[in-house]
Amino acid sequence: MFSLINFLRRGLLIFFLPLIAPAQNCDLIVSGTVNDLNTGEVISNASVLLSNTRSVTAPTGAVTDLFGMYSLGPICPGKYHFTLSHVGCETQDIWLDVTADTLLTLFLDHQDLLLNEVDILSQRDTDSSPENVSLTLDNIDEIPDKSLALMLEQIPGVGTIKNGNGISKPVVDGLFGNRLTVLNNGIAQSGQQWGLDHAPEIDPLIASRISVVRGVRALEFQGNSLGSVILLEPGRVGANSNLNGSGQYFFETNGRGSGLNLKLQKFTKKLAWRAVGTLKKSGDHHAPRYYLRNTGSQEANASVQLEKYWSKKWFSDVFISSFNTELGVLRGSHIGNLTDLQSALQRDIPFYTTDEFSYTIAAPRQQVNHRLLKVNNKFLINEKQWIELTYANQYNLRREFDVRRSGRSNLPALSLERTSNFLEGKYHGYLRNNYELKTGIQANWVGNKNLPETGILPLIPDYNSLEYGLFTILSKVFNQTTFDFGARYDWEKRNVAAISTTIPREIIRYENSYHNLNLMGEANHEFTKDWRIAYTIGQVYRNPEVNELYSNGLHQGVSGIESGDPTLGVERSWKNTLSLHGKSKNKLSLDAMFFIQHIDNYIFLNPQNEIRLTIRGAFPVFKYEQTDARLLGYNLVSRYQLTKRMKILGNYSYLNGYDTFNNMPLVYMAPNNLYASFNYQIPELFNFKNVEVELNSRFVFEQKNIFLSQDFVAPPSSYNLLGFNVSADKKFSNFKLNVFLRAENVLNTSYRAYLNRQRYFADDLGLNVVLGLKVSF
Amino acid sequence: MSCNPDNPVDPTIPNQEEVITTLNLTLTPDTGAIVVFSFQDLDGDGGNAPIQSSDTLQSNTAYSAVLELLNETETPAEDITAEIDAEGVDHQFFFQSTVGGLSVEYTDMDANGKPIGLATTITTVDSGLGTLGIVLRHEPNKDANGVMSGDITNAGGETDIEVTFDVFVD
Repeated sequence: MFSLINFLRRGLLIFFLPLIAPAQNCDLIVSGTVNDLNTGEVISNASVLLSNTRSVTAPTGAVTDLFGMYSLGPICPGKYHFTLSHVGCETQDIWLDVTADTLLTLFLDHQDLLLNEVDILSQRDTDSSPENVSLTLDNIDEIPDKSLALMLEQIPGVGTIKNGNGISKPVVDGLFGNRLTVLNNGIAQSGQQWGLDHAPEIDPLIASRISVVRGVRALEFQGNSLGSVILLEPGRVGANSNLNGSGQYFFETNGRGSGLNLKLQKFTKKLAWRAVGTLKKSGDHHAPRYYLRNTGSQEANASVQLEKYWSKKWFSDVFISSFNTELGVLRGSHIGNLTDLQSALQRDIPFYTTDEFSYTIAAPRQQVNHRLLKVNNKFLINEKQWIELTYANQYNLRREFDVRRSGRSNLPALSLERTSNFLEGKYHGYLRNNYELKTGIQANWVGNKNLPETGILPLIPDYNSLEYGLFTILSKVFNQTTFDFGARYDWEKRNVAAISTTIPREIIRYENSYHNLNLMGEANHEFTKDWRIAYTIGQVYRNPEVNELYSNGLHQGVSGIESGDPTLGVERSWKNTLSLHGKSKNKLSLDAMFFIQHIDNYIFLNPQNEIRLTIRGAFPVFKYEQTDARLLGYNLVSRYQLTKRMKILGNYSYLNGYDTFNNMPLVYMAPNNLYASFNYQIPELFNFKNVEVELNSRFVFEQKNIFLSQDFVAPPSSYNLLGFNVSADKKFSNFKLNVFLRAENVLNTSYRAYLNRQRYFADDLGLNVVLGLKVSF
Repeated sequence: MSCNPDNPVDPTIPNQEEVITTLNLTLTPDTGAIVVFSFQDLDGDGGNAPIQSSDTLQSNTAYSAVLELLNETETPAEDITAEIDAEGVDHQFFFQSTVGGLSVEYTDMDANGKPIGLATTITTVDSGLGTLGIVLRHEPNKDANGVMSGDITNAGGETDIEVTFDVFVD
């Protein structure tokens, strides 16, 4: 009679005991207790939810009482899907055949629970502040074909600056590149962020959550951020001791691209592990009227995550990832001088356009490799306090190939190698009287070096830098108000070795040294359970980057000679953010965020009254200069649940960037845009569950806040893009299938986007239909 | 841990073998003096202005014109002319003049029988003052309308050289 099924799914040991002989009546009861695996103690408030895979009846659920007991039923015999959850654990699934009254004893690994709880607590800041917005795994899985920046476009106030579709960088509240830090697994991404056409070297499919952090918590991280950071978190392996994971495939019509992503993970007492691999390939993309030649790309990424509980108080994890990509750049956007740019601007269809599709990636192209190794140790002092020690090593190799003479197209025209080593010690504790303290010390060593293989004078010089950082974030909860205060001290020293632009060539050495104290305060008030308001104010500094100080030479893509200024000083930002989050009767919800940011000594490229004559023709000269800038913006998001199945969403983002010293607009500011979607949900249709149909529309206004003299051409006109998405799930006995079909630019509208630098040469992408399948087991 | 990052080792000064610093246009008439136009920019994109020479042509004269391209960042100077000639299919020079009557005719051809422009015949008619522009395009579309006869409008490609000389036809 007694059968023990070691049904160890997602951290739960289960004893399965049919109580009486099998019956066909719909009066079966599943009951039992939830216990701690280590101590045997009962666990209360764990929830057990049961649904029949074929039944249309509402799921039956129960919460364990003080004695850890639960009871479910009456139910009919059949295959059931159990969903188990407890504070601090991921939602977990079990499939079980119920043929009789069943006694089911569930064991939770409390050791794991404890650490999980700690993780959840440590994410309180992100969750509670309405200024911080995240994409979850479900969001990510619906757009696996997108790059990190394009995924983030889903978040209000986040845009992208692009060089064609393949190369995109995120922009948050008008800031990007040197002013926006991207954190991969808590480590500041160490790449060539300065380039407008340098996309972050991260596979977003390793993440289970991608967030934009705008509040005090941003002070925890090193990097050159002026207020907000982008955070990718892969999430914990979990505690399922069966091999589990998912396989995902997508195909997109525009570019005839395909992608494959595999995730495997397993928990054992000795070691928990997860391995993720991604392959993507696409060819020439298509604007509504023509192919965009040489805009294909390919990517191969892998990551491994290992987790180990040495004891109840010591947890280690190791994360290793490798990102490798090759990106084509529109052939018709490669120009030699200003005359070429002028003739390209006058063309309706770019030069080199052909009628044939191709997967070939030729020059101009980019090849980027990035590796990350992170070792993290967490030591629990007690359940409410812990210490973390982290070491990370990053290696980044960026090689860019131009169209060159005599077979030199295979020699990179830019070849930069960057190595960094990071060390961090951090304390985090929940103290008495509702105080929370997080404090840490960080050191980061960076070596940035040009490889001499190019045969071209480098655009930025070689340098080594060393940064030390100290931060403290103190939070206190007073009734319904949370106060956060953060301070961060940064010290950076850089040694630079440049090659002179004059002849004879000489080595010129520079030393930079910076000290900055960043301060931020935040108050977060909950009027009721449903309405919250938050206000953040902060003063943050940013050191001038090496490209701003010393770059010198021809910037091919925009046909200008860019020249740095070694005397540039530190940028200082004052940012005020007010946000409101609320909902009314679970029908209407509203998120609003307003900000004003003053940046003193804002560094920008200013066109000079100089045209420099070279053998390749005349080039305009741009110089990095400083001014005072003001960024003002707001994002409004509103959702309305029309009926149980129907909901609508609307959001509007406004941004205005102004140079208050020269009384002129700032360039590269995202145009205002309006997004609306209509969503219809069907719980069950043709054996599929959670069928969701969505229609959406994005209207992007013309960027009018700019002078014609600030650009080669007037900003593109406004445009409207329509989209469509349908997704559904299907559960099988031992796996789950998700499918989606998405169409973008449904009307095949020809348009150009202001923040896409390819707009000088070609239209943006036409219709794209993406089909995706995901199998989770 | 020290408080100072290491000094980077001396960066390797790249061997800029691809750079074109100098263009010489030598015009030889059947009778009379040889005329040379030259453009030299040794520091490339750097701030020093290029050195440019101009000269006087005779009216009603046919000159056989030869272009020479050099990379003078290297010693001895590297001859880029041969490199352009070898990759003739991917290169073409275009000549534009504001001097009345001055015409340029290609006298060389690439492997496909299309002009390169390293060798031309430049013919003057009237006397006058104006300019002569020389443009070298990399990977132009030689099949596009007018390109073979020297019209740059539909050529495309990247500009490798663009220089303009003052010309006086006596």
